[in-house]
Amino acid sequence: MIENASKEGSASSADLPLGTTPAFARMHKWLKRGLFVCLFGLVIEGALTVPVIAVWYGWPTLSLTEICSELMKVRYSDDTLECTQPYPLSGPPFGGAPEAAGQQTAKDQWGIQPVPQYPHVGFRELVRIHNERQAANKP
Amino acid sequence: MVSLTLDAHQDESRRAQREADRWLIAGTILMGTLVLGPVGLPVFCRGVYLLRRAQQVGLSVRPMMVTLIGYVVILDAAINSIGWGLDVFANHALITRTIFTAWGNLMDGGYFWHYNELWIGGAGAPGEKAWIIVCIVVVFPMRIAAAIGLLQMKRWGHQWTIVTCWFGVISWMGYILNMTMYADVRYAGVALPVIGWWLYNIFYITPFLAIPYLHTVNREIFSD
Repeated sequence: MIENASKEGSASSADLPLGTTPAFARMHKWLKRGLFVCLFGLVIEGALTVPVIAVWYGWPTLSLTEICSELMKVRYSDDTLECTQPYPLSGPPFGGAPEAAGQQTAKDQWGIQPVPQYPHVGFRELVRIHNERQAANKP
Repeated sequence: MVSLTLDAHQDESRRAQREADRWLIAGTILMGTLVLGPVGLPVFCRGVYLLRRAQQVGLSVRPMMVTLIGYVVILDAAINSIGWGLDVFANHALITRTIFTAWGNLMDGGYFWHYNELWIGGAGAPGEKAWIIVCIVVVFPMRIAAAIGLLQMKRWGHQWTIVTCWFGVISWMGYILNMTMYADVRYAGVALPVIGWWLYNIFYITPFLAIPYLHTVNREIFSD
C-alpha cells in the first residue's frame, strides 16, 4: 500500500522541491504554473493597458485632452463640457472642488440602484463624434 | 573536513541566492511600475533561471514556489497600488482622467459614471472608494511586508502571508459582491461588460493560488 501510494505521488521526496511532500507534489506543480501565468499576464496587460486604451479611444488622431473632453461630454450628456487642463493642484483630494461638482446634466434613472443612461461608445467612435461636431460648428 | 565542506556549500548557496535575488528584485521593481513591465520581465526571468540552476546543482536555495509567491504578491500589490493611488491622490491628472475614464467606459462603469464628482474625486460608484482606500492603506502594504518576510524564509513571513492572502480573498469577494449589487452602474453602457472585466482582472487571483501552497508546504523550512 505504502509503495503504491509513493508511486502515485510519482516522485520520491528526494526529487521534490524543499518543503513539498509527495502527497502535494502535483498540486504544487500546478499552482506554480498558475503563478507563472498570473505573473506574465499581469506584466503584459499592465504594459499594454495605457497604449491600447489610448488607441481604442482615438489617440493619436485625438489628443489625450480631447479624449478626456469627449468622454466627459458622453458622461454628462453635455456637449459644452471640456476637460480643464491643467487642473489646479488644490483640487481633490486636497480640498478644492472636483471637476464635475454640481453637474446636473447626467442622464440617470435614479433610484436605490441607479442605471446610467449614457450611450454606448464603440471602437474609435470618439474620433467620428469629435469630427462631426467640429464640422457642424464650422461657419 | 566535513564542516569545511558544509561551510563551503552554505557560502556558495548564499552567494547563488543573493545573485538570483538581485535580478528578481530589480525585475520586480521595474515590473511594479506597470509601464516598464516589458523591461522588468526578462530581468526577473534571468533571476528565475539563476535560482533554478542553483537548485539543479544541489545548492540550498529558496524553493521556486516561495520565490514566485513572494514576488508575485509584491508585484500584484504594487500594480494595484499605483492604479488606485492615482485614483485617490491624482484623480485630476490628465492621464488619470483620460485613461481611467476610458478604461471605465471600456470595462467597468465604476470608473466612468460620475467620475470626479465625489468630494474626494475619482471613482464615485457606490462602495468603490471604501474598497480602494482599505486596499491601498491596509491590505497591500501588509501583503508586501508579509511577502518580504516570506522571501526571507522567516516563520512570521509564512504566517503573515497566509493571513494577508486571506485578506486578499475577502477583498476579492467583497469587491465583486459590491460590484454585483450595483451592476447597472458598473456595466450599463460599457463596451466590454463583465467578461471584459474578468479577462482583465483574472491575473490578480494570486491569493487563491498561494493559499493552498502555504497551507500544505512543510512549515519547518521557515525559521524564527
